Amino acid sequence: MCGIMGYIGKTERQEAALGATMLRMLTALGRRGPDSAGVALYAHRADGAYHIRVKPGESADIDARMAEILRRVRTAARLCAHAHADEYLRLTLDSVSDPQALQESIESVHPDIEVISFGRALDLVKQVGSPENLEQRFGISRASGTHAIAHTRLSTESRIDLSHSQPFWAHGTLDVASAHNGHITNYHKLRRQYEQRGVRFYTENDSEIIGIYLCEAMQAGATFAEALQNSVQFFDGSFSYLAATASELGFAKDPFGFKPLIVAESDDYIAIATEEVALRAACGADVETWEPPAGTVRTWNVYQERDKHVPSPVLEAREAVAP
Amino acid sequence: MGIIECEGKTPRQINMAIKALIAAGETDIRVCHPAAHHNLGVALTVPVRVMFEGSVGYYCGGMGDGPTIAVQGSAGWGLAEGMMSGTVVVEKNAGNGAAAAIRGGTVVVRGDVSARAGISMKGGTVIVGGNVGYMTGFMMQKGTIIILGDAGAALGDSLYEGRIFIAGRISELGNDAVLAALSGDDERYLAETLAPFGYEAARYEFKKIEAGRKLWNFDKTDFATWKVAL
Repeated sequence: MCGIMGYIGKTERQEAALGATMLRMLTALGRRGPDSAGVALYAHRADGAYHIRVKPGESADIDARMAEILRRVRTAARLCAHAHADEYLRLTLDSVSDPQALQESIESVHPDIEVISFGRALDLVKQVGSPENLEQRFGISRASGTHAIAHTRLSTESRIDLSHSQPFWAHGTLDVASAHNGHITNYHKLRRQYEQRGVRFYTENDSEIIGIYLCEAMQAGATFAEALQNSVQFFDGSFSYLAATASELGFAKDPFGFKPLIVAESDDYIAIATEEVALRAACGADVETWEPPAGTVRTWNVYQERDKHVPSPVLEAREAVAP
Repeated sequence: MGIIECEGKTPRQINMAIKALIAAGETDIRVCHPAAHHNLGVALTVPVRVMFEGSVGYYCGGMGDGPTIAVQGSAGWGLAEGMMSGTVVVEKNAGNGAAAAIRGGTVVVRGDVSARAGISMKGGTVIVGGNVGYMTGFMMQKGTIIILGDAGAALGDSLYEGRIFIAGRISELGNDAVLAALSGDDERYLAETLAPFGYEAARYEFKKIEAGRKLWNFDKTDFATWKVAL
């Protein structure tokens, strides 16, 4: 099944409550996906810093592995903070000349290591377990921000671990993330084509291919909206998915309408979720909901939506998500 | 009037409360704050009136035989699925598969419905005040769908029997769905069927869609048609 949800706050009040809103949506859809829960939170950060979450993996000699990762980061970037808790090593960089090279350098320390999230606006946390666990461990309800996408997973095709959880950061491209409900049935064929071109896959999860496709399309010159639009024909199978960048958020539904996705739009917010219960949890009992037709793609520029509402300067992100 | 407050109750507890009121002889039930829970008011087999004061989730009113169900908000997927008789009226929108496989009764959605409304209908009537999505009336076998708004692609795809009346635009007819002439009987039927729900048939210009009957019997000389349809 899986549950997906997205939210754009148009006012300062909505932005301040973004993390709490996402937690309410995640909790409402927890029963659709008891295996794992995650959220990709976006905020405007005036300091321009880069935020990275690394999964260092398990090792008897984890300290040495950490030390090697930090050594490599320091040679490639200005590291201003780092923290290690549970399965994440969290890094904050003042500057980095080549993010993709740094990602590859970190991951080449050991095959178990994966950069889970890398961005200037994005902070992505996910874990095996319920939305309640996600809150207990990362305090996502304290986060503020402009927009977010989130996912609760019922695994059907691939294993249950941190890497296979969603949302997926699109490796290699800052700030792009996706969350998918459904099954991309031409995944194996597409994956072979990508792998022949040298693209690395981190999981056996078919949903991972969405971010890979979107980033490649955008690198080839497509806008975010065009990339989503073209994906509806590129992918086969059943899908409703959400994708986001630092400034945009959108969804795509397969041409057969196999997977649900409900939208609520008001002067204060845009909320999207697999089921209405999540929209009600986020927006209150009087929310007006609508299921877009099969094959629908919509995208929003988060900052333009804000400007329609309040012409005030962008909120500074609060330090929110725990390491 | 029996009143059920949903706050703090699971869908099963809400349904048990509805059935308990019916068993006690209640014929008019108000359900407050349904909060888009799934499976509300399913398998009610007596002519009871149930009013949901808000939105409902999946399969509301499914398998009903006789109840009159009103939903003041929107409905999720599979509204009134498999209904035998009765009436379900939704004030706002409904998700995919509204009135799927109903055998009788009337399902009214005043707003829009998403894909596959009336899929595999075996009787009954579906009335949509707004627009309908992809593959409305897919493989319907009997009954009537009345659409006051526009229709998405593949309208009436592979329908065996039954009929669809539509007032708005058709983006594309489905396989073996063909336009047919409206008779005087059809017009009387539309007026009589729509009036109880506050719609005035005379204000709309209806088109009628029926089966082209090309898919009724397999003909191997007509293989190309089947290849497309299947």
